[in-house]
Amino acid sequence: MAFLPDEARSLPPPPLFNKGSVWLGFVGWLSALADNGFNQRPVLRAGVHRQILFATVGFFVGYQLVKRAEYVHAKVDRELFEYIRHHPVDFQ
Amino acid sequence: MAAGLRAVRRWGLAAAAPPGLAFTRSAFVATKANNAQPNWLGVALAFSTSAALWAFLIKQHKEDVVEYERRKQARGHKCTECS
Repeated sequence: MAFLPDEARSLPPPPLFNKGSVWLGFVGWLSALADNGFNQRPVLRAGVHRQILFATVGFFVGYQLVKRAEYVHAKVDRELFEYIRHHPVDFQ
Repeated sequence: MAAGLRAVRRWGLAAAAPPGLAFTRSAFVATKANNAQPNWLGVALAFSTSAALWAFLIKQHKEDVVEYERRKQARGHKCTECS
């Protein structure tokens, strides 16, 4: 199955800065800082290019994951409402 | 064997007694990382990859918004239960 089927584009896209992307971007940045720590470099001032790259990759992955999560939730909601619509007797 | 001994010394294990004299030839050479001289190729690749990823992400987000608005217009909002 595709990561993001075409019908996912009918959903409102999540904002660029959302919980998932910001958090994973932060996690990526922390892992760059940890890499500095493990290699005995100054934690904040060293490898800024690495910090930016890891944070960017985390942000990117977070954004894609949030889009997929919203799609899966919307799909489940649609199936739920379809079921309710087809079985009104059970929901009176 | 001399190459193995040189590698051991480079790794800073000269003080430790090597376990027997059974050296295996390795394709890898361990060197101490030199953080004083920047690896400019790595820096350039990191920055260019970050810039490319950001550009792609922002472009994709803008396209997603446009596509969503277009599909909303095309649908004419006839279904009021699902959003």
